[in-house]
Amino acid sequence: MRRRAGAGRRHAFTALLAAVLLLVAISPPAPAASGAELLDLAAFKGQVVYLDFWASWCAPCRQSFPWMNRLQGELGRDGLVVIAVNVDRERADADRFLHEHPAQFRIVYDPDGLLPEKFGVRGMPTSFLIDRSGHVQARHEGFLVRDRDALTQQVRALVLAH
Amino acid sequence: MQLKRPRSPLHLGLMAASCALLSDSARAQAAPDDAAEKPLQIDTDLLYYKENAGRVQTIEPVVSLKKDFGDQRLLDGTLTLDTLSGATPNGAIPSRKPQTFASPSSTSLTPKPGYKTTLYTIAPGDLPQDPHFKERRVAGDLDWSQPIGLDNTVSYGGHASTEHDFDSVAVHVGLSHDFNEKNTTLSAGINEEYDRIHAHGGNPVAGSDYALYEKEPSQTKNLAGGLIGVTQVMRRNWLTELNYTFDHSQGYLTDPYRIISVLDDTGAVTGYRYENRPDTRTRQSLYWVNKVALGPTVLDLSYRRGKDSWGIGSDTVDAKLRIDLGSGMSLEPHARWYHQSAADFYNLYLSETGPAPTYMSADPRLAAFAATTFGLKFGIATRRNGELSLRLEQYQQRPSDQASSLAELQGLDLNPNLKATIVQLSWHLEY
Amino acid sequence: MRIQSIARLAILLSLMLGACGCTSLGVKPWQREILARPEMALNAAPIDAAIDDHIYFSKEAASGGRSFAGGGCGCN
Repeated sequence: MRRRAGAGRRHAFTALLAAVLLLVAISPPAPAASGAELLDLAAFKGQVVYLDFWASWCAPCRQSFPWMNRLQGELGRDGLVVIAVNVDRERADADRFLHEHPAQFRIVYDPDGLLPEKFGVRGMPTSFLIDRSGHVQARHEGFLVRDRDALTQQVRALVLAH
Repeated sequence: MQLKRPRSPLHLGLMAASCALLSDSARAQAAPDDAAEKPLQIDTDLLYYKENAGRVQTIEPVVSLKKDFGDQRLLDGTLTLDTLSGATPNGAIPSRKPQTFASPSSTSLTPKPGYKTTLYTIAPGDLPQDPHFKERRVAGDLDWSQPIGLDNTVSYGGHASTEHDFDSVAVHVGLSHDFNEKNTTLSAGINEEYDRIHAHGGNPVAGSDYALYEKEPSQTKNLAGGLIGVTQVMRRNWLTELNYTFDHSQGYLTDPYRIISVLDDTGAVTGYRYENRPDTRTRQSLYWVNKVALGPTVLDLSYRRGKDSWGIGSDTVDAKLRIDLGSGMSLEPHARWYHQSAADFYNLYLSETGPAPTYMSADPRLAAFAATTFGLKFGIATRRNGELSLRLEQYQQRPSDQASSLAELQGLDLNPNLKATIVQLSWHLEY
Repeated sequence: MRIQSIARLAILLSLMLGACGCTSLGVKPWQREILARPEMALNAAPIDAAIDDHIYFSKEAASGGRSFAGGGCGCN
């Protein structure tokens, strides 16, 4: 008697799970990739671009912002442009973050995620180091405090190389 | 009857839930960028638990510290203090005649010079409970977790607890791996525990006649277990986790304080025996939990199916709904339904006619019952990214077997419903 | 060797998860704003969970599942 009741419960549970998974298997189509109107890197040829993807909900970004401010301040006159692409869905969230962590560099707003899709971002935050001819020289996933100095050196080397 | 704390939670399942290096506290605050923003979290909690009918009552303060050493290297320490008092059922069932028992700390059942005897008498019709129950327990947990590369996390930790009649040490190790752009996380872990049981007045010889009051020195038991789990991001607002847990215990698994009534054919008490449980136990469970955000509201829905080698099967459904009230306030109603089947060797009582079974127990916790919990938690945000909250819950257990057809037991409630009130005050701070 | 029914259930669930093409499940890395909320963490209230586990461990025969089972006086 006990076994039969248990089997009945399990079958009901399995049926429920099957229904749930069936619903989930139908995923919405991906949006058409674009983004050129948001950011045209060709306009920055001749300069080194540090392209960073950030969001208000990304904790390491709170540490990357002061660091990017310093980087922009130090190497701006040597031709470094820091561009931070925000991927928040709600502009208000991005504004709140910027109020607490002011940025002295360029911010691009991309709530539909066209640019991270185009650049193949695999994690948050992600940054790309783009040389003066517009080629991606390096890609960094995440922002680790222990990698900060090495990253600074890498950017400096690319900007000051002649 | 003591409240004992199981292992501290394995944090691994959390890893898939957020962005690559997201710390547990996603609340924004300005801070020097050298170290983690709010590296220290302090949680202080106070639990008050009270059962009905003069049964167990406990007051339990808990202090927990969590420090982030940067880049998701986390140290978590918790200290728990438990003071328990109140009456605890001894396993015997009510009778039409008064019953007298010795408190476990007694060294003799009958007064004798040189021996300590503390007796208590139960009125006819009442559930036999030892009113002298008092216990104080201290427990500590320490856990460390850190990333390995960008996609893996390792964690390990230990636990130790001590009280007058029970000591325990345990260790655990876990590993998790993220893939599918951190939409999927696989976790695995193992744990090992070693316990020493030295009951007040000595551990009774299992299954022996209560009247003989034979005691033995301390005993031990150990447990080895493992867990494998998968966490999957289903949708933008839906996270799910499935865990399979397995453990095997061996050693002294009997409750040293419990007895079982021996009755004749009419239901009159002829004596008692100490309970006797098998010296091994294998348990498995499948746990499925979902977190779904419906706007600012979050639903936490889980189901657990359990089975063990003692014949106990269980089902648990748990639902919580966190409602954001605005201005930093939240309200969270909670409901839990639980059902378990009885252990193979569970009986309300034994019959004196017929062969005595090898294993026997009248412990209500091994009986078949349904239980429900209904609760409400109110939280309010405070300074320093903190939160103050109050949780009130009502727990009720309804056993399936509460009566017998035997003449002497007519009209007696042999395994009464259990009701308990839970009040918890919590204070969370970040520095 | 006889496989316990729970293990069988686990295998069945895993197969079903695999069959639905779960590698296509999930969100893009920049779409985790909801999942990043503290209340969406699976262990959002760890002390509440530990206290509950503690209470149910001493009052019921089943325990754990979400963390490691075990502990206590072996009275279950």
